[in-house]
Amino acid sequence: MAGVRTEEEIKEILEKRFGTILSNWVIQRKRRIYVDVPRENLVEVVGFARRELGFDHLGTITGLDGGEYLEFLYHLSNQGLLLSLRTKAPVSDPRVQTILHLFPGAEPYERELEDMLGAKVEGLPPGRHYPLPDDWPQGQHPLKKNWKVSDAYPAEV
Amino acid sequence: MSKITIPLGPQHPALKEPGNFLLVLEGEQIVGATVRLGYNHRGIEKACEDRSYIQDLYLIERVCGICSHSHTTCFCMAAEDAAKVEVPKRAQAIRVLVGELERIHSHLLWLGVAGHEIGFDTLFMYAWKDREQVMDCLEMISGNRVHYSINTIGGVRRDITPEQAAEILKRVDLLEERTKYYIKLATEEPTLIARVEGVGLLPTEEAHKRGAVGPTARGSNVPRDVRKDDPHLIYEELDFQVITSGACDVFGRLYVRVFELLESFKIIRQVLKSLPEGPIVAKVPRKIPPGEGVGHYEAPRGEDIHYVRSNGSEKPERVKVRAPSLANFSSVAYMLEGGYLADAPIVIAAIDPCFSCTDRAILVKDQSGRDLTLDWEDLRRRGIEFYRHRGLDFSRIA
Repeated sequence: MAGVRTEEEIKEILEKRFGTILSNWVIQRKRRIYVDVPRENLVEVVGFARRELGFDHLGTITGLDGGEYLEFLYHLSNQGLLLSLRTKAPVSDPRVQTILHLFPGAEPYERELEDMLGAKVEGLPPGRHYPLPDDWPQGQHPLKKNWKVSDAYPAEV
Repeated sequence: MSKITIPLGPQHPALKEPGNFLLVLEGEQIVGATVRLGYNHRGIEKACEDRSYIQDLYLIERVCGICSHSHTTCFCMAAEDAAKVEVPKRAQAIRVLVGELERIHSHLLWLGVAGHEIGFDTLFMYAWKDREQVMDCLEMISGNRVHYSINTIGGVRRDITPEQAAEILKRVDLLEERTKYYIKLATEEPTLIARVEGVGLLPTEEAHKRGAVGPTARGSNVPRDVRKDDPHLIYEELDFQVITSGACDVFGRLYVRVFELLESFKIIRQVLKSLPEGPIVAKVPRKIPPGEGVGHYEAPRGEDIHYVRSNGSEKPERVKVRAPSLANFSSVAYMLEGGYLADAPIVIAAIDPCFSCTDRAILVKDQSGRDLTLDWEDLRRRGIEFYRHRGLDFSRIA
């Protein structure tokens, strides 16, 4: 019956379970919920939403460069209702836990966070780059706001 | 038997798109498969941050040469959510109309490619010939065959005239008849069934677990369809079925796509029958106030997601695109394992990964250096002439 819960009911259940850990609730419109989750509770909240609330599909993970911090949005879906869990990590310590054990399809999304923004996804098995090439220079992350094409290809610009 | 590892791709791994599949073989059987992507990474998300919303629209349209309308619709819906703009009903209906025409062209294209991959080139030619009907519709509406550019933030750029609607309905009737033939073919032709049945198995729970989307998921009995689950545009008011198959193999994916064609015809008839009156675009400020939005759209290949964050300027802070094929590649690795090497092309093609199609008019220089444009008729005439010189007369073939 998870599919028939309203946005308000989902918020209520999550608030009851996690209390003030979750903040900045926004119910933007029908089927769109945004909420902030502290980094250390992320896996727990994702797991709870998957097990107890029927959020059995991960749309994608969006990563953003917020200057001092990196921001990650986990777009979970329960039959079209999108719950976007927002978490932040300081640039000096850009770690976040993997959710691969909950969503095996998350691998490319998590690799993208590492490649494009320089996040460190803990628990992600070693593997090749995605989507950047194998010989991509270390420490270059194209979606960082201060990154320029000339940083990686000085000869071409 | 000793194991041997062979690379399939990155050039032409069974289809005209770069991707690398590392296959571990034990004799003819695939015992391990890894997928490596990223060869087509063009930095579109980064480029979007340096351009205005309207410029981004043209960039986003070029994410894919087949589902170009899907990506712009998804992007527009995300940006419209961020800008808190209500899109006029008529514009939503036109978006649905173009979206469904696009789905028809995409599914027919896939049907042809699938035929080609299993050595059934007659099917390839039939399907692509019929696909021209829907390509003509799209060209008639938008002036373009590939990048229709029908969307703009807040609505659509072109209206539908009653004459266009009549012409589309005429061609939809024709296509429906042809689709019935393909359905007969897909469900009754023993050689075709033998080639796709039990190939590329993806059990329901695996499809679910791996986050498969679109016909790949529905072919494994996962009834996931954004048009029903997260009804956007006017889909809530339309009557159509979500087609699923319990076959969980390439046959299931084939079955879902051919029957979905019928649903698309149904949707197009409903939209054109009661096209809402009114404006086709809402006014959207050039600078979008700080906000965010998630676009969610059922593209021909499945769930498409765009995230847009606005910052009060005319350029977005962040644009994130997750095309459906990416969600399906985790399933491909599973489907390949345990199968045979000879089936790898159709297994990979069965999720319908994207590639661009080309225009049909060519521009060449004649001997004096002047531009010479050849249209379909010219090409046909030249072809007939070419063969007549070699003793073959094709002039009487229509």
